[in-house]
Amino acid sequence: MIDHRLYRHIDWLLVAAVVLLAIVGLAMIYSTTYDPMAATRARIPIGPRVWTQAAALVVGLVVMAAAVWIDYRRLTQNALVLYAIVAAMLLCVLLLGVTAGGARRWLSVGGFTLQPSAFATIPLALVLAAYFGENRLTAWKGSDLAVAGAFVAGLFVLIARQPDLGSAITLLPVFLGMVFVAGLRLRLLGIVLAMGLVLSPVAWKYALADYQRARIVTFLDPGQDPLGAGYQQIQARITVGSGGLTGKGFVQGTQGQYKFLPVAHNDFIYSVLAEEQGFLGVLATLGLYLFVMLRSIEAARLAKDRTGAYLVIGLLSGFAFQVVYNITMSAGLAPVKGLTLPLMSYGGSSLIATCATFGLILNVRMRRFTN
Amino acid sequence: MLIEERSTQTLRLSVLKWTLTTTFVVLAVCFWYLQVAQHTRFLETAENNHRRTLALDAPRGVVFDRGGRLLVENRYARNISIVRDQAHDLERTSDLLANVTGTSPDAIREALARNRGVPNYRPVVVIRDATLAQVAAVMAHRYELPNAVVEQVPVREYPAHAAAAHVLGYVGEVSELQLTRQKDAGLRLGDIIGQTGLERQYNRLLMGNAGAQFVRVNSLGREVRVDRTVDPVSGRRVQLTIDLDVQQAAEKAFAHYGYTGAAVALDPNTGEVLALASVPSFDPNAFVNGIDHAAWRALLTDPRRPLQNRAIQGRYSPGSTFKIAVATAALGEGVVKPSFRVQCAGGASFHGRYFRCWRRGGHGWVDMRRAIEQSCNVYFYTLGNRLGIDRIHKWATRLGLGATSGIDLPHVVRGIVPSTAWKKLTTGQRWYRGETISVAIGQGPVSVTPIELAVMMSTIANGGTRLVPHLLKAVDEGRGWRPVPAQAAGPVLDVPPPALEAVRRGLWLVVNGAGTGGRGRLEHYDVAGKTGTAQVISVEGAERAGEQTARDLRDHGWFVFFAPADRPQIAGVVFAEHSEHGYLAAPIAKYMMQVFFAKQERRPLPTLPPTPALVADGATGDLDD
Repeated sequence: MIDHRLYRHIDWLLVAAVVLLAIVGLAMIYSTTYDPMAATRARIPIGPRVWTQAAALVVGLVVMAAAVWIDYRRLTQNALVLYAIVAAMLLCVLLLGVTAGGARRWLSVGGFTLQPSAFATIPLALVLAAYFGENRLTAWKGSDLAVAGAFVAGLFVLIARQPDLGSAITLLPVFLGMVFVAGLRLRLLGIVLAMGLVLSPVAWKYALADYQRARIVTFLDPGQDPLGAGYQQIQARITVGSGGLTGKGFVQGTQGQYKFLPVAHNDFIYSVLAEEQGFLGVLATLGLYLFVMLRSIEAARLAKDRTGAYLVIGLLSGFAFQVVYNITMSAGLAPVKGLTLPLMSYGGSSLIATCATFGLILNVRMRRFTN
Repeated sequence: MLIEERSTQTLRLSVLKWTLTTTFVVLAVCFWYLQVAQHTRFLETAENNHRRTLALDAPRGVVFDRGGRLLVENRYARNISIVRDQAHDLERTSDLLANVTGTSPDAIREALARNRGVPNYRPVVVIRDATLAQVAAVMAHRYELPNAVVEQVPVREYPAHAAAAHVLGYVGEVSELQLTRQKDAGLRLGDIIGQTGLERQYNRLLMGNAGAQFVRVNSLGREVRVDRTVDPVSGRRVQLTIDLDVQQAAEKAFAHYGYTGAAVALDPNTGEVLALASVPSFDPNAFVNGIDHAAWRALLTDPRRPLQNRAIQGRYSPGSTFKIAVATAALGEGVVKPSFRVQCAGGASFHGRYFRCWRRGGHGWVDMRRAIEQSCNVYFYTLGNRLGIDRIHKWATRLGLGATSGIDLPHVVRGIVPSTAWKKLTTGQRWYRGETISVAIGQGPVSVTPIELAVMMSTIANGGTRLVPHLLKAVDEGRGWRPVPAQAAGPVLDVPPPALEAVRRGLWLVVNGAGTGGRGRLEHYDVAGKTGTAQVISVEGAERAGEQTARDLRDHGWFVFFAPADRPQIAGVVFAEHSEHGYLAAPIAKYMMQVFFAKQERRPLPTLPPTPALVADGATGDLDD
C-alpha cells in the first residue's frame, strides 16, 4: 500500500521537533510530579505519571506511523464513519463516562481511561476537508456554511455538555482556520464572526455554567477573588516571573514544587517550565512550537490537493489554538480553563491524538507527488 | 479560476503564517516582561510564598525566693497566629478564624492592625493562650486556613499569685512607646517584656534571646523543610533575697487585722530585702496574656489602688518615727549628750507659739532614753530648736529619709525632708524657725516612704552603715549561682557609739518598757521599735471633709523595728493605713519577726492569734503621740 519512495518525502525535521517537545514535556512531568519523600524510598525516583506519559508517547508514535501509512484521501473518503465513531464515543462519555472534578470526560476501557474529546478535532477536520475539497468555497452560499457549521455544532454540544468548554471551543478554530484558507469571502467570514459576537451574550447567559462565568470575571479582575479562581492566575504570574532569565533549575522551582500552582503537571506545566528553565527555556520551546506550526503550514502549501491542504490547516488551527491559549494562560494572561498544552501536558489521550494529528500532516506532505 | 483560487489560498496561508509568527513574538515579549523586566518583584513574592520565620520564644528566667522556692516560672501555651502572605485574603482568614474559634473578629483585626510593622514572613499572634478547643478548631479547618499557624510559647506563671506581686511585677506585650524609647534594647513588636517590678528591673536578665526557625512551607502552609534553626536562649535564673514565709506572714497579718498598707523587712547586716509587701495586691497571672480592658480598668479605678506599691511609692507623714532621726542628729552633731534632760510640762513655747505634748499632764524630767520611750514631744521640740532644720535634713538624709534608697525596683518615689534650700526652691520663701518645731516630731512638710524608714532602722540597727536594700541575691548566668554582693550607700555615720546606743536603748524601752510598742514584744527576743502616727488630715480639714467616711479620715499607724536589739538580724517597718495608732501596726511586725525567728531556729511557723486585736475606739485616747 505504501510506496517505498514515499519515505524520502517524510518531513523528518517535523517529526524530530514533535518528539523533542514531547520529551521536554516528559521531563517537566517528572519535575512537577517529583516527590522528595518518594524519591528517597524508591530505587528509581520516577513517578507513575512519567511512566504513563512515556507509554503514551510510544503508543502515540505507533499511531503516528499508522496515520502516515494510510493515504489521507482514503480517510477523508470515510470521514463520516470516523466522525460517527467519535460522536458515538462522546455520547458514551455522557452516558457512562467516568466523573472526576465535577465533569464527565473519560471512558474506562480495559483498565485505561480514554478522553474521546481529545480526538474530536481529527474527524472534524477530515469531514470538513472532504466537504470543502469537493465544493468551491468561493461560490458558497450561506446554506453550505450551515451544513459545515452543523458538523461543528454536533461535536461541540456533545463535548460542552460534559462539561468541557475548553475542548469544545478548540473545534471553532478548526472550522475558522479551514474556511479562511479555503478562501471564504471575507464578507461571509465577517458575518460568521459577527454572529458569534451577537450570540456571545446569549451564550454567556445560557451556555456557560456559573464556574465558567466566574472564571472570566476573575480574569478581568483577579484581585477580586485572590483566594478562589484568581488564586491560580496570580500564582501563575508569580511562578513565571520568579523564573527570571535562566530559571531556578530543574526540579528547583519553589512554586511548582511546593504546590502553589494546582495541577502543575497538567494545565500549568508551561508555568513550571518557565520557572525552572527561565526565559531562555521559554524562548527555546516557543521556537520549537512555532517551527512545528510553520512547518505544518508549509505542508499545507505543498499539498497535492485542496482536501489535503484544508485537512492540514484544520488540524493545525486546533493545535495552534490550544498551544497559544495554554501558554497565555500559564503566564496568567488568560482566564484559567482546562485546556492542556499539546505535547507537554500530562495526558495520554491528548498526546496520542496530537501524534495522530501530526501523522496526518506528515501524510499530506509525503503524498504531495502521488496520484 | 483555479489559479486564482490557488493564489488566494497561498495568500491566506501566508497571512496565517505571519499571524502565528506575530502571536509568538508577542508571547515572547510577554514572557520577557514577566521574567526579565518584572523578575525581582515576582521572585520576592515567590520567596514570601514559601518561606516563613517562626519565632521560638525564649522562656523568661525562673525566679526563686532565698530558700529556693519558685516565685515565677513558665508554662507552655499555644498561640494562634496569622501569616499575611499575598495570596490569601486577610479579611476572610480573620473572619473565618474568629468564627471557628469563637472570638470576636474585631479583636483579631485589632491585633493585625497593631502588628502592621512586623515583616510579612513573620506570623502575627492573634489569639494568645488558645484553649485546646480553639486549637482543635484551627487544625480541623487547616485547609481553609492555610495561613493560620499554632505556635507553642512559654508563658509566665506566678504560683504564689498575689504574694509579693509588687516585687515581682508583671509582664506584657511591648508597647510602641517602649519600642521607640528603648531602641537599643533589641525589642521587637510582639515581644513580652517586664512592665513593672523585678520583671521590668531585670528584664534584660530575665528575657533571654528569642530563637527562630526558618522553614519552607507548601501551599497548604505545611512545613516541608526546615532551613535553619536558631535555638532560643532562655532567660537567667534569678534568686531573690525575699523569704516567701516572711513575705506571706506580712500579707496574712494585714488581712488578719483588716488593714491595708505596706511592710518592709531588711537584713540590717547586708541590706537584703526579706519581705516587701503592699496591701491590697493583685494577681500578676492576670497580665500574662494581655489583661482585658475591663479587668485593667477595674484595677486602675479601684479606690484602694492595688497597683500602687506603697512600700516604695507611698509618701506618708512619718510622725513620731521621725524622732529617731532627730535624736541621731542631735547626738551626731554633739548638740546634746544622751544624758541631756528636759522637763516636760505638757507643752512648751517656741518662737512665740505654744506647742503641746501629746500627754496633757507632761512627762516631767526626761532624758534621751525616756524621751524616746515616752515619745515626749517637748524633748524633741527642744532638740529640733537647737539643731535647726538644715542639720535635721542632713542627718535624716544620711539615715535614708527623703533619699534614694537604691532598691532595685522601678518607679521608686522619694520622700521629702525639708531644708531651707528646699523651701526656697519650692515656694521661694525663707524657712521660719518655728516650722522646725513641728518637723522635729515628724509633722509639717515631712514625708517618707516605708522603704526609707526601713533603711533608717537598718542603719540604726547595724551601728550606722546605710546599706542599699536589694532584692537580687544571686544570678545564674549559665555557670552556676553567682551571689550579688551587699552595697553600702554611704560612709558609716560618725555618731559616737555610746550615743547611738542611747537611741537603741530608747527604742528597746518603747517595746519592752512603758512605751507604746508593747504589742511588738516577743518572747525570747529583744525587739526595739518605735510607733508613729501619720496625720491624714488636719483638724480643720476634717471638718471640711464632713461627708467622707470616718475610716478614710483616720490617721495611719507606723511601727518601725529591729531585733534582736543587741545583734540585729531583721529591721523594718509596718505601715497600716487608717489604723489610727502606731501600736496597732505592731502586731503585724511581731508576726513577721515570729516567722523569721521560727524559721531561723527551724521551729514550726507560728500562727496568728485567733481574735484580731481590733481597735477599741476612744479607749486609747491619750496614748501615743
